[in-house]
Amino acid sequence: MSDLYNQSDQQPPRAGLILLQTLIMVVFCLFSVRLWYLQIHQGEVYARKAKENQLRQVAIFSPRGLIRDRNGDLLAVNEPAYALGLVREDCPDIDKTLHQVAMWTGLEFTDLKALYNKHRRRVKPFEQLILIPDLSFSQLALIDANKLRWPGLEIQVRPRRQYRHGMLLAHILGYVADANEKEMEQRPELDLGDYVGKQGIEYMLEDRMRGAKGLSQFEVDVNGRRLQERVLKHPRAGHEISLSIDLGLQKLAMDWLSEEAGGVAVMDADTGQLWALATAPSYDSNDFSSGLSEEQWAALRDNPLHPMQNRVIQSVYPPGSVFKHIIAGAGLHYDMLDPKETVHCAGQIKLGRRVFRCWRKGGHGKVDLEKALVQSCDVYFYKMGKKLTVDRMSEFAQAVGFGKLTEIRLPHEKAGLMPTRAWKRKRFGEGWQGGDNLNMAIGQGFTLVTPLQVARFFAGVLNGGKLLKPLLLKDEKTVVQAEIPLTPEKLALLKNALIQTVDNDRGTCRRLRTKGISVGGKTGTAQVVRLTDELKELKDDQIPYKFRDHAWMAAIAEHEGKRFAIAVLVEHGLHGSSGAGPIVKAVIDYLFLGKVRVKPEAKKAKARAARLLSLKPLKPLKPVKPVNPVNPVEATDAN
Amino acid sequence: MPIDRRLLFYINWPLLGVAIILFLLGVLNLYSASGFRTEDAMSVAPYFNKQLLWGLMGFFCMIIFMFFDYRHLKTMAWPLFWTTVLLLFAVFFAGKTIYGAKRWLDLGFMNFQPSELAKIAVLIVGARILSKEREPLDFIRLAYVLGVGLILGGLVIKQPDLGSGLSIIMILGGMILFRGVTARVFKTCIVAIPCLLPLSWFFLHEYQKRRILTFLDPTTDPLGAGYHIIQSEIAIGSGGFWGKGFLEGTQSQLRFLPERHTDFAVAVFGEEWGFAGTMILLSLFCFFLYQMVIIARDARGLFGSYLAVGVFFYFFWQILINTGMVLGLMPVVGIPLPFISYGGSATLVNFCLVGLVLNVSMRRFLFKQ
Repeated sequence: MSDLYNQSDQQPPRAGLILLQTLIMVVFCLFSVRLWYLQIHQGEVYARKAKENQLRQVAIFSPRGLIRDRNGDLLAVNEPAYALGLVREDCPDIDKTLHQVAMWTGLEFTDLKALYNKHRRRVKPFEQLILIPDLSFSQLALIDANKLRWPGLEIQVRPRRQYRHGMLLAHILGYVADANEKEMEQRPELDLGDYVGKQGIEYMLEDRMRGAKGLSQFEVDVNGRRLQERVLKHPRAGHEISLSIDLGLQKLAMDWLSEEAGGVAVMDADTGQLWALATAPSYDSNDFSSGLSEEQWAALRDNPLHPMQNRVIQSVYPPGSVFKHIIAGAGLHYDMLDPKETVHCAGQIKLGRRVFRCWRKGGHGKVDLEKALVQSCDVYFYKMGKKLTVDRMSEFAQAVGFGKLTEIRLPHEKAGLMPTRAWKRKRFGEGWQGGDNLNMAIGQGFTLVTPLQVARFFAGVLNGGKLLKPLLLKDEKTVVQAEIPLTPEKLALLKNALIQTVDNDRGTCRRLRTKGISVGGKTGTAQVVRLTDELKELKDDQIPYKFRDHAWMAAIAEHEGKRFAIAVLVEHGLHGSSGAGPIVKAVIDYLFLGKVRVKPEAKKAKARAARLLSLKPLKPLKPVKPVNPVNPVEATDAN
Repeated sequence: MPIDRRLLFYINWPLLGVAIILFLLGVLNLYSASGFRTEDAMSVAPYFNKQLLWGLMGFFCMIIFMFFDYRHLKTMAWPLFWTTVLLLFAVFFAGKTIYGAKRWLDLGFMNFQPSELAKIAVLIVGARILSKEREPLDFIRLAYVLGVGLILGGLVIKQPDLGSGLSIIMILGGMILFRGVTARVFKTCIVAIPCLLPLSWFFLHEYQKRRILTFLDPTTDPLGAGYHIIQSEIAIGSGGFWGKGFLEGTQSQLRFLPERHTDFAVAVFGEEWGFAGTMILLSLFCFFLYQMVIIARDARGLFGSYLAVGVFFYFFWQILINTGMVLGLMPVVGIPLPFISYGGSATLVNFCLVGLVLNVSMRRFLFKQ
């Protein structure tokens, strides 16, 4: 044992002991300072970071307001759609996960990766980047079963807009689609992947229908699993909208327009509410809300009939003879017309070297105002136009709403055109000619109107002179935009002429006669092109589709306190009476008799054949003249 | 072996007390660190009761390490050294591969890590060599001592277990510093080490290089290695002055903090007990270390002093590296914090070594018999 103690007198090195104590001091000081820095100085910063780490907030989607028709039938609803989102902070291996998603869905990895790279900067930390907006049920089942093995992937349930009658109401309802960058900038409450209205009512009433998203807060663990979810803010559902549209009537109008291009406007003459606003051809709103494919879009864009166009408010046409009521109104207003005074119609009149013909070769003989309107005598109105000149005609027409927006609650409405001397000089660099007055008086020439403007005017004739704002919502207050500047007696002359056009055996709207219902109407034929001699010799159904005249009919109908104005335009429908008349008749029967007239299949087939005819004209033809030709066309007006 | 009652009186009770307090704090913290919130409530992983069990075993081993006279170790130093070397070789051939590294020997009833034994061996052999003479080390003696350390450390590093290997060399390095080196050696080292250090870069594994790079800029890899550092700093920093309270740490309860029951256990502590708690813990550790300095100072004989110094450095490096890492002052290295981090064999070794210094302290007055 003794050698164990042989170093008993040796002391440990002093320097070493000092070194050890110094090391302890250094460690103590170093760590104290660091702890002070982390926990006291930066404590709040880290506390906030820890909160952000653990607490995540997600939006609770609010259901968009439903849209119903005036009878409560659902037009637009919300259905759940399942989207696949990726929270990149939770995802350990983005590429691997995207490969897996590609395998599940059959998409290309490179496409997914491109999508990811495109959006990843815009997605806030810990929020989902939507990889696939709409999963099919089989994909959903597959992914949901395997999701737990792929942290970061989440399935999000979002309401998706579904249109019950996508084709019938596309131009009224419009559609919703993902908000773009500009929209998100304007509305800070919008996030990536939110739907907003892009067209139609969906667009116009966006703020009313969207509602407000709620906010839910939950804790997550490191795998992104949700624990302890808590609702911070309940979502507010969007307001429900009831349209003034009658689904049955709309359906009927669309049926009668099938295979045609044209529009139907049916307005309640007392309230201004539209019961139908049909335009054909149409498209399906649902195609847009579920994301239009490149091919679908190309098909819509390249369709020669332009299905996206709302022909009732966005297409402008020469009004044709329908405009004679406005000219008659102008004559009465300026006291330049005595309704009893007669004019002799010999089938044509001369102005300088030019000959202006009446549609009836033999002429109408002695014609007063009523006869001129009922039989649509052109010569009577040529003389009227010469007397009134463009200034008065244009002033009066503008006073009754032409050349101006109707202010309907739909985007991109067109105002049409009511020409003036100044306009023509500016547009063509030449003055107003005498012949221009004559053409204008029978609704040809430069004048362009929308079917809705026509409906509004005739509603005014029916309701005692009030020009009403066209309304699309059932609960909207009636707005009187202007009064037709005519005394009730003078207005009655116009209304009476309308009724006589139906009731008189020589009237052009005889086909509208409906037992027990007071119906009035006016036909119109709007020339599209100056007919060459070759074309004139052709029978109606041999004229190529695109050279055929547009068919107009405006009508009023009244029974037991229900009063409606109807305007129908059928593009290239040839004659107002035969082209547009049956549609008006079907509308009147539906409104007053509750009868649903179905368009005969033979008629549809004929219309289809007519359109195909345009593809192979019989003979080489002169190029198509513009709708408002520089040189006034030789006036011929059928009916 | 009968034990003198006076020996019990001379035990450094403060050291024993602070070791037990640290261990119990560690268990308490482990309870929190191994608990995690689930959808409905809390659930606790079984780490903390396992740790208690290991602690009891450790306490038992500590008493064994106090019973025999530590000076017998002097004669056992070389046999222990060779046995360790043999076992380290055995690991290469018969070792169990876990996580891609051969570090374990399967003893049937438990997995044994010879690298833990190597840490004990190095301080005993080191104490034996260094306590032989008093004067500062010259080149030859330094080479001799370092050679012994490098055999053990090198074998451990080859496993690969860089953390343990380096700590073996660093334990010996600390003891060498305690002894002191000649001025010439010191000057040479001052020049040579900074020059040689960059060379070691080429011997590092890819993941080790990445850790060092990540340490320099954690944001380069916020979801990988940098994630540990960022989350650890957030955990500690968010504790503030008073902390979030026991079991209230969100970083750890929600499992944002990785390795929260082992290497990053002190981050859990910092989050829940705040600056007040971490300062107390730091003070306890410094007190713990200081008691070993006192034991080294008062030991009867240089061998005892060097043993105490070896144990001092065994703990010192771990505290420095682990805490430095958790506080974002050092790269991420897998070195646990004594008593606080979960780990069976580490706890066992910790208590054994505390027993060893207590052994030194209780026999400091034996010559007065």
